[in-house]
Amino acid sequence: MNRNYKKLAALMLCSGLLLTACGGNANNSKDGADKAAAGAGANGGTQAKTKISWLNVLHTASPPTDTVLNKIEEFTNADIEFSWIPDASKEERINTSLASDSLADIVTLTILDNSSVRNALKSGMFWEVSPYLDEFPNLAAISRDTRSSASIEGKLYGVPFQKSKARNGVIIRKDWLDKLGLAVPKTTAELKEVAKAFTEQDPDGNGKKDTTGFMDRSDLVYGAFKTLGSYFGTPNNWAVDNAGVMTPEFATEGYIQTMDYMKALYDGGYINQDFAVTAKNDQQQNFAQGKAGIYVGALFDSKNLLNLAKGIQDGMELVMVNDITSTGKPEDRAIWSSSNGIGGLLSFPKSEVKDEAELKRLLKFVNDLMSDEVYALMTYGIEGVHYTADADLAVTIKDTDLWQQEVQPFAASRPNETGYKIHDADPLKVEAERLIQENAEYGVLNPAYSLESETNTAQGSELQKIITDATYKYILGKIGLDEFKGEIDQWKKSGGSKIISEYEAAYKAVNP
Amino acid sequence: MKMKVTPERKKRTKHSLLSLKRNKLLYLMILPGFLYFVIFKYLPMGGLIIAFQDYQPFLGITGSPWAGLKHFIRLFTEPTFFMLLKNTLILFALNIVIFFPLPIILALMLNEVRHKMFKNVVQTIIYIPHFLSWVIIVSITYVFMNVDGGVLNEIIAAMGGHKISFLTSPEWLRTVYIGQIIWKELGWSTIIYLAAITVVDTQLYEAAEMDGAARLRTTWHVTLPAIRPVIITLLILKIGHTLDLGFEHMYLLINSLNREVGEIFDTYIYTAGLKNGQLSFSTTVGLFKGVVGLILVMLSNKLAKKIGEDGVY
Repeated sequence: MNRNYKKLAALMLCSGLLLTACGGNANNSKDGADKAAAGAGANGGTQAKTKISWLNVLHTASPPTDTVLNKIEEFTNADIEFSWIPDASKEERINTSLASDSLADIVTLTILDNSSVRNALKSGMFWEVSPYLDEFPNLAAISRDTRSSASIEGKLYGVPFQKSKARNGVIIRKDWLDKLGLAVPKTTAELKEVAKAFTEQDPDGNGKKDTTGFMDRSDLVYGAFKTLGSYFGTPNNWAVDNAGVMTPEFATEGYIQTMDYMKALYDGGYINQDFAVTAKNDQQQNFAQGKAGIYVGALFDSKNLLNLAKGIQDGMELVMVNDITSTGKPEDRAIWSSSNGIGGLLSFPKSEVKDEAELKRLLKFVNDLMSDEVYALMTYGIEGVHYTADADLAVTIKDTDLWQQEVQPFAASRPNETGYKIHDADPLKVEAERLIQENAEYGVLNPAYSLESETNTAQGSELQKIITDATYKYILGKIGLDEFKGEIDQWKKSGGSKIISEYEAAYKAVNP
Repeated sequence: MKMKVTPERKKRTKHSLLSLKRNKLLYLMILPGFLYFVIFKYLPMGGLIIAFQDYQPFLGITGSPWAGLKHFIRLFTEPTFFMLLKNTLILFALNIVIFFPLPIILALMLNEVRHKMFKNVVQTIIYIPHFLSWVIIVSITYVFMNVDGGVLNEIIAAMGGHKISFLTSPEWLRTVYIGQIIWKELGWSTIIYLAAITVVDTQLYEAAEMDGAARLRTTWHVTLPAIRPVIITLLILKIGHTLDLGFEHMYLLINSLNREVGEIFDTYIYTAGLKNGQLSFSTTVGLFKGVVGLILVMLSNKLAKKIGEDGVY
């Protein structure tokens, strides 16, 4: 890092702060930030750009081209240099980066429960940002809840990604329901009936028994299992009672009911028989090819599924459901919250970010990323090139392929995903957004998310394998309930009991 | 202790120094190879020290606290240890018993093929799978063997059989695993045997023929003994990799339902170590693996020498 850089950072910071101070007012912080960002953008021509390197996670097949990046750079007056890590290998890549200290100014950490990430955070490798957040309007708007959820032992080591609290639900082929004269299911029992009908009554009318109800993937968390589990009242990872006793989700009645439900689906053939080895990509492709009629996952996947089905299953209509319960009573509605609405952290390693001035410059940059303009850039692209918008700021994508290439890779890097006025004009997307917002009200949080357990950090994911394996075996009928309970005992013996007691101690420390 | 230098020794030292001087260019040529081993093989071994530490990357080797034998104790007391050892040894045994003789047999068979064109075509075809990556091989297997629409299962179903979940049954994993190795590596492994066969003295064949030996007999009594040193050498080298079955292949094959027979040291190092960031622990596992391999090579080498073969060193 040369001296010029620091000078520049300081300069940028001062001008940024000044403009924020001019434009901002207490009531409308977001507008203030926008003006500040716009100001910075306007001044961009006269000042040299600050270099910012960013170790980031890529959720698409290939990194974005420069078109949108240039606009973002112009706006934030920064010269951004991405190092992309494919999502599939993020754990080992982040670990090796941490181990070899080859980091960047900004590091996207999406796996906060990984032991080396957690140890790195706790060891003070990254800046603690909470004292600085309130200096920047968009960062100041991050709620106390989010901040404390994203903290480790009360300290916030980066700007949390703000995601929707709970985005999962069930997506069903509406055209198949109509064809078979079925209603949209409201209970898990009805859902099973639909799956049965989709399997047995030839919903695609080709005379062959070549469809199943569910199309699932080998993922007990983001696949069908955990969402169905919510419908049976399973807690999100941990349940805690008034006395502070913690119970892991797999030791609850709901979990077993969910396993039984999945087992019934498997035994009846109402789910793809190879779901235990099916990848997400195959799952979506198979669904798009009309091999099944029920998809459980993120509600906004419906749009992707429809896109994939173009030209293959043109008659495909989808309906999204987010209010299924096992009892039929509306008060039992529940849906697990993924990481309590936190998608990870944007962290600033001390090895790269040497002083406060530089840190503040980076925070200013993240603050600018949250502005309406950059949000629109990272979500929809450039107006006129990638999308058109009407007076209501409803966006229509002009060319999906182009959007996927140039814009979509940025979407996962948005520090905030909610509360913007600009929105997709596509009715399915609008509906998904509405349902996801509705979900927030019923979101089941993980009470242990911000608690510390040393054993869990070190061995948790290895131990989880015991349970994951046993769950699959139970569903596929390879073991019975007693053996499953035996595996829980095994989990406890191998370190699970320690995790429980550590969490309980940590919980009591926070909730005396 | 001061060593007494006899005149003779002095002379020898002088002589060797002289030869060193005279042939310095030749010795210089060793240097790159020597440096390669020092830099890439011996220096990194120093990193093994983290097996005895609670290694934290940001503290470095010098700053991380010492842990004594903690990680070794954890490795040997964890219930997974015996599962890992068992799986690794069984797969290794399959490798030796089933896979190891096959290239020899195939090479002997190819040696009997007299039609040159035909032999070349066959060789080329059986070499090809070697150049495919495991990802491709496992994907091909998936396409053939999955339950929902896998070709093999469709055939079984069409013939009135029950579909078999090859990919999710622990009882099928080893078969699939060894089958894939055979498919990928069989042809390629014959090369070295074929090369060894070509140097067999043709007079021996002629003599055997004169004595009235049929084809099979010459193969048994001439060709096979002639390539015996090569077979022994390769066997010893293979034994050195006992616990080193290769990570990629198995990692692609295991899932929740067949992990109990599929998890081996290599995959365990990856998931427990690299993925989960427990660098010290995985170094411990790796060190254990290496030591066992070393001991086995030394033992088998000794054994080979005892039965009158050359061994590898």
